[in-house]
Amino acid sequence: MRNLDESRAKWIRLRMGILSGIMALGLGAFVSSAYRVQVEDATSWREAAENQRQRRLHVEPKRGTVYDRNGTSLAVSVEVPSVSADVVEMLRGNDPKDREATLRDAAARIGKILAIDANDIYDKLAQKKRFVWLKRRISSEEAVAIREISDPKKTPHSLKGLTIDGEGHRYYPGRELGGPVLGFVAPDGFGKDGLELAFDEELRGHVEEVKGVRDRTGRLIFSEGTTDESALAGHDVTLTLDEGIQHVAERELDAALHTYETKGASLVVLEPNTGEILAVATSPGYNPNDYGASEVDSRRDRAITDRFEPGSVMKVFTVSAALAAGSLHPNDTIFCEHGTYKLGNVTIHDTHQNDWLTPTQILAKSSNIGSLKIALNLGENGLYSSFRRFGFGEPTGLPLPGEAAGVLRPKGRPWFEVETANASFGQGISVTTVQLAVAMGAIANGGRLMEPLLVRKVTDARGNLIRENTPHVRREVIPASVAHMVAEMLTAVAEDGGTGVEAAVDGYRVAGKTATAQKVDPETGKYSEDKYTASFVGFLPADHPRLVIAVVLDEPMIGRYGGDLAGPVFRRVAEASLRALGVMPEGGGKLAKVSRADDPADITLAVMKPKPEAVAAPQPPPIGPPLPSNVKVPDITGMAARDAVRTVTAAGLVPEIEGSGKLTRQEPPPGTQVPKGTSVHLVFEIGS
Amino acid sequence: MMLRNVRKVNVPEIVAPAPLDAKPNAAADKNPVDVVLGALLVALIGFGVVAVYSASQVYATTQFHDPQFFLKRQAAYAVAALVLMFGISHVDYHRLYKLTYPVLVGVGILLLMCVVGFGHSGGGAARWLSVGPVHIQPAEMAKLSLVTWLAYSLSKKAEKVKSFAVGFLPHMIVAGLYMLLCMKQPDFGSAVVLLLLTFTLLFVAGARVGYIMGAFMIGVPLAVAAVRFKAYRYERYLAWMDMEAHKQDLAYQPFQAVMSFGSGGPWGLGLGRGLQTLYLPEAHTDFIAAIIGEEFGFVGILCLCLAFLALVARGVRTALRAPDDYGSYLAFGISTMFGVQALVNLCVALSIFPTKGLTLPFISFGGSSLLVNAAAAGILLNISRHAQQKGDYEEEKADPSQKAENAAPEAEEDPAMGDVFGDAQIADVGTSEPATS
Repeated sequence: MRNLDESRAKWIRLRMGILSGIMALGLGAFVSSAYRVQVEDATSWREAAENQRQRRLHVEPKRGTVYDRNGTSLAVSVEVPSVSADVVEMLRGNDPKDREATLRDAAARIGKILAIDANDIYDKLAQKKRFVWLKRRISSEEAVAIREISDPKKTPHSLKGLTIDGEGHRYYPGRELGGPVLGFVAPDGFGKDGLELAFDEELRGHVEEVKGVRDRTGRLIFSEGTTDESALAGHDVTLTLDEGIQHVAERELDAALHTYETKGASLVVLEPNTGEILAVATSPGYNPNDYGASEVDSRRDRAITDRFEPGSVMKVFTVSAALAAGSLHPNDTIFCEHGTYKLGNVTIHDTHQNDWLTPTQILAKSSNIGSLKIALNLGENGLYSSFRRFGFGEPTGLPLPGEAAGVLRPKGRPWFEVETANASFGQGISVTTVQLAVAMGAIANGGRLMEPLLVRKVTDARGNLIRENTPHVRREVIPASVAHMVAEMLTAVAEDGGTGVEAAVDGYRVAGKTATAQKVDPETGKYSEDKYTASFVGFLPADHPRLVIAVVLDEPMIGRYGGDLAGPVFRRVAEASLRALGVMPEGGGKLAKVSRADDPADITLAVMKPKPEAVAAPQPPPIGPPLPSNVKVPDITGMAARDAVRTVTAAGLVPEIEGSGKLTRQEPPPGTQVPKGTSVHLVFEIGS
Repeated sequence: MMLRNVRKVNVPEIVAPAPLDAKPNAAADKNPVDVVLGALLVALIGFGVVAVYSASQVYATTQFHDPQFFLKRQAAYAVAALVLMFGISHVDYHRLYKLTYPVLVGVGILLLMCVVGFGHSGGGAARWLSVGPVHIQPAEMAKLSLVTWLAYSLSKKAEKVKSFAVGFLPHMIVAGLYMLLCMKQPDFGSAVVLLLLTFTLLFVAGARVGYIMGAFMIGVPLAVAAVRFKAYRYERYLAWMDMEAHKQDLAYQPFQAVMSFGSGGPWGLGLGRGLQTLYLPEAHTDFIAAIIGEEFGFVGILCLCLAFLALVARGVRTALRAPDDYGSYLAFGISTMFGVQALVNLCVALSIFPTKGLTLPFISFGGSSLLVNAAAAGILLNISRHAQQKGDYEEEKADPSQKAENAAPEAEEDPAMGDVFGDAQIADVGTSEPATS
């Protein structure tokens, strides 16, 4: 500043100094502020920042798929684009005067694309939120159009702040198929019913296992360690259900619902040897794709949540229990009091006036009196504990929400005599459809109570096995011999003279039991005269059971008898299922059908008196006192199973069966002299 | 009366234009620049590139599918800025005389173009002008343009700065026009900076404090009105006052910025480890300080502040050592320009002030800001070449003839110069109306 006089230069320096000092003070103030924020309050700010990111982590990963046993998708998550707006971004740098006009313009343009009223869009935008959904689940054309108006290169006055995000949407390709079993997923991403609820955590995936960071729109930007979204994705669940069988079961159940005007119906198809459930059908069902439109009542999986008085089907387990306990012999005969029996002050009726009946006949004719006599002979505790061993009175352990246990002893005390009697034919106790199927499975598979399986395996999104369910025997309920014996007895039900002839399937022997149980009228507390539960529980082929099917029709308005109503459903589902499983016909069944067709009037006659030829023949020989005489083992080579068994039993020998098809081998060989009652091992093979 | 007074003083001024006598000094070009200043500038520009990359990576990836989108651009700007800076540092700042008015008017026209509709509407605010593929921001240029003009005008007027009509009013009117154009864009922050620069240079040059205080008294209600009656500014102000309640909407950005600072703690999360870039809008431009605070912690912010302090201090030192008033005012104005912008930007980032659209000089992403600041820094560096050593100063005072010898040939070399500025000078001084159109 050489041009200035000394005093002016000094003043200029002084003033520069003052200003520099002010700036330095300002900087000092800033630094002290920064110290407060960054050093003193650092912990709370850091926590706040972490919370902000952490919360974003709970955005749902892709939900796992539910498959049937053959890998058909039953429930899948698809990414559906949804469009959202950041209004602050949209208005960034906008003149405040023009804000309303800008939003109006934006609303009009967006509304035109999304086919929504512009005023609705404007109302959403006018809240000026940083995040607002404009439309969820838009079509791909809409997504393209939205991207176009957001792109400054393609549109001169492009809109800012619009984001299109893939949002997981649950889709059930089979529509109503398995609806109540599968359940549904609410828009918040949580499974709300059925398997979606039961396996919600696994299907949703384990977000907390992977640390990721999401930005303010919720998109995953990067994750520590892995950028693979599949690590976040939910696990896939493979069911034991067979889509084809499930489909047939639902179709037939719906048909029954409409034909007989039932209030509801349920059906379970079970593989008796493994406990795998091949189908669980419920009617009326619903479409989980549009669960909002369905009645709450129709979303219930009746097969596991509804308990009912099973009626006569319990006679199977009563007889099995008595046979296993030794209080009943297969060739005992029981006096059935000509259809009326007084027990204390209660009178019990049979539908038919029977006199002396074998256990087989008691089952075939469904005699209440015969059954109660067997039960009383066995004793209260014997019957109760037996039912418990068959799995009644406790949940079967299916991984589904709301499974009912059923009730045996209503108040936890032992039954009175009359209650024991009632329980023997399925009154005064309650069970579920799936319990019936599983218990019948134990008869079919040689006495083992299997744990029912609905889920085969759980795999992660990369295909690694997380969990696999293998068949699990809960307990040996009855000896295999008793199980086989009862199975054989049950074949009479679907044969001529039985109550379940409608259930007979061409080419296969069917073992099963009908039931027609009066329902308790909730208003009067007494058994109603016109409300029934009609059911049929059975398995086939009787010799090598592959399927157990339990059909329960609740309150049919047209008809009432389990055999007439549930029998045909059983038959049709069985036929389709056997075809689906590729089970070869083994003979049997057709005869009964033909005879029924020939002389329908004969049925009444037939049930009046024992029909030794048809009913007694398959009955195993007595296990009681060994007969002294020796018999010759008959030559049965090449016979079909049914004929072979008949021939062997007719000779007073006990057949032990292995395989299916034609007889290829027998032990001991034909012609050998053996004592009566000796076991004959028969090996069948499906051959030419 | 004042006019008459001015005229009286005016006459000898033209005869002996003392403050403008310093002529281009070719010898000074050989002098070294202030090395500390140069090093600080290069360091800040370099650090800016790194900080921009760290802060913009996520945004660049999501918006442009190229994590280096902003890095590439900022690196290119940085190279251009360094070239420009060292280029200008070789241009004798006295030669800028010629450019003062063309630049002042040119920038004024650019600002006007922004306002009348040529502005590239970045969603509403017309702050950018599109020239082919590049967007320039005239408001950034306005700051430097105003500083050069004020330095020129004030040094020329010397003692007359004290008068209202000559020394005070014309400068306020020119600055006022600039500010008005900035406000129209709207760019409130730049207008405030322009006003502060004007006051600063008027004060330094010796304008009466009473006038400045008076203008300040008028300015404050105007500014309050500008805030109160512009709905969005008032909303922003209210949100800033009650940040907790508005942290999801209007105060989202400042709130996230403070959170960035805070979560950095004393030592920071480390370069590139900041996570607030996911949440903080404009993390690589106006709010880059917040990301620096998160990644480098309080220590980093302290270092950044010290760097700016050193930058301004070296600038003021250059001002004090400048060979003439013009250089001195210019150096001080440029230093203040850096200091005020940095300070306001930092305070906004830490929510001490409400949000304004101001960049952090040399650090924030943006070509206009970086290049203009680099040009300013180049001028500053050039002035530092002319810095007088203590010895020089004494020597010159002792031997004024040497000065005259040096000056004389330069004047002959460029005879037009005196005429051009002489005319302007007369116009300036001779009328009470400002002739700065």
